Amino acid sequence: MKKIVFVLMTVCLLTATAYAQDTIKIGLMAPLTGSFASEGAEMKQVLELLNAELNAKGGLLGKKVELITDDDGSDARTAALAAQRLTTKGVVAVIGTYGSSVTEASQNIFNEAKIIQVANGSTAIRLTEKGLKYFFRTCPRDDEQGKVAVDAIVKTKAKKVAILHDNSTYAKGLADEVKPQLEKKGIKIVFFDALTPKQSDYTAVLTKMKGAGPDLVFFTGYYSEAGLLLKQAKQMNWKVPFLGGDATYNTDLVKLAGREAVTGFSFVMPPLPKYLPSKQAKSFLADFKKKYGNEPSSPYSVLAGDGFRVVAAAIAQTKTTDPDKLANYMKTQFKDKDALTGTISFNAKGDRVGDVYRYFKFDSKGEIVLQK
Amino acid sequence: MEEFFQQLTNGLAVGSIYALIALGYTMVYGVLKLINFAHGDLFTIGAYLGMTLLASFALHETIGPFIGLVVLALMVMGLVAILGAIVERTAYRPLRESPRLSAVVSALGASIFLQNAVMLIYGARFQVYPEDLIPETAIDLFGLYVPLVRILVLAASLVLMAALYTFIQKTRIGTAIRAAAIDQDAARLMGIDVTRVILLVFLIGPALGGAAGLMVGLQYGQINFTMGWTYGMKAFTAAILGGIGNIPGAMLGGLLLGVIEAMGSAYISIAWKDAIAFFVLILILIVRPTGLLGERVAEKV
Repeated sequence: MKKIVFVLMTVCLLTATAYAQDTIKIGLMAPLTGSFASEGAEMKQVLELLNAELNAKGGLLGKKVELITDDDGSDARTAALAAQRLTTKGVVAVIGTYGSSVTEASQNIFNEAKIIQVANGSTAIRLTEKGLKYFFRTCPRDDEQGKVAVDAIVKTKAKKVAILHDNSTYAKGLADEVKPQLEKKGIKIVFFDALTPKQSDYTAVLTKMKGAGPDLVFFTGYYSEAGLLLKQAKQMNWKVPFLGGDATYNTDLVKLAGREAVTGFSFVMPPLPKYLPSKQAKSFLADFKKKYGNEPSSPYSVLAGDGFRVVAAAIAQTKTTDPDKLANYMKTQFKDKDALTGTISFNAKGDRVGDVYRYFKFDSKGEIVLQK
Repeated sequence: MEEFFQQLTNGLAVGSIYALIALGYTMVYGVLKLINFAHGDLFTIGAYLGMTLLASFALHETIGPFIGLVVLALMVMGLVAILGAIVERTAYRPLRESPRLSAVVSALGASIFLQNAVMLIYGARFQVYPEDLIPETAIDLFGLYVPLVRILVLAASLVLMAALYTFIQKTRIGTAIRAAAIDQDAARLMGIDVTRVILLVFLIGPALGGAAGLMVGLQYGQINFTMGWTYGMKAFTAAILGGIGNIPGAMLGGLLLGVIEAMGSAYISIAWKDAIAFFVLILILIVRPTGLLGERVAEKV
């Protein structure tokens, strides 16, 4: 009898302490609806997986970590509302989001609320040029991407290049970045214009570009448009090579464009984990596949995962959730050699240090091949 | 000059899709004076249903590509028509006697409901039609390179439009629809069952919208749950351009809008394509406030 009472008391005590413990809250702002909904769904999957693993290892500072997800709707106005909701929920940090213009709408809200924000797909240069104290990103910037793209274009020996963007913060930024650099290298820009995203017919654009007679088309927009452009260029029997920015790649691209049309398409992109040798990346991939049945299709969801790991590591190492201390630490001392996408550390602006971009090309089997 | 004609075919191909969708807007507006915002989403559903039916029956393999596609189109049109009638029954008919604003709000609600239903059923990712349904050959028309699928789509939409025009102008039921559009009360006094006419309009319009969705899927291969919004917006513009409520007007407006877009991007700027299209719309509305073929309606004072 005594024994049973003792056991019961211990159980009560244990559950009581468990309830007394509060959690550390980390937010995720992701495009769960709207045109980037597929990116957002995967970001959520990645973070839920990493969060479950973190909690299985005991969480942070002896507390469980709670993931609070909100939807930015792939849209700046929705994002501002989502950001305001997240600030009221006591999150230490927020991971996200994908589109640069969407992130931009939330930056000041998080910064004023002293919440660390780690964007995962927003590569527009100006996001980190505003001197915001609590803003970071795990993806590189467009000027970094621009450099790699310029190198890739120079290597193709194209003399006349057409540049096509879609007027979004990101795509226009990258196009504007690359144009003067190419001109400096003596490459002629024969076409520079923007298409309207989310339509299905780009033959008018292609016909006009064809008239300008480029040796190469550099498209800085997103993958659904890239798929249509490649497919329709092939239908028009126009055999110009296309080079894309990092948003043109998604595993769906082969399906969208068709295998034949995608052959020879090249792009610059932070590598997917399957091109990373690290043990971390491999075990993460295996876990992801086990839980969801397929490998992550976008590099940005993995970069969101890295954002989560960075925040978790910084909290664990500084043993605090104080935003000033965390931001300071992340900017000056933080270094993670085993991040999913390679080594991560940040400069004083909150930008990721080091070159992350690689240059890839599709072969005739629809597989992507890393180019040297 | 070659580029001009190439752009003309590009514009006509897009415009024929706009025209098919615009017919749904204009017919409903003609009879009910209501803008059926859910129409764009019925178009989306047509595209998704086409994909599902293609994958599950593979008719093009069993009974030949041509008959297979015709049967597929009929199935899609039938299903979307039924859905259109359900939308009418549940979202619009209960509000028939209410102020017009309530019906507009209900239409927006139906649109949001259908769009999200498609997202929940099929997921947010882009979906892709099976490849190689229609041989990817291009036909050489006096030096112009036009893919076969474009010609088929343009021809199919012209046939549908011609069929609708004949139906509305030459048959008794068509006359009843026109009568109900002019004056519902007078039509009722003449023994026309207006409720059935409205139901019929909600069968024909969505059927054409569904066919347009299938054509977009076949032609471009990639479909997405938000596509109805973009196409719906353009088709609605086309309906106004041609004169909303007027059936030949919707056809003309759709084709014209497609051509204006293509020419605008060819000779002015691609980025300004939509702005140019709307600029032309404003110009036309200034000169002809009722649209190109819209009749003058004297306001009752």
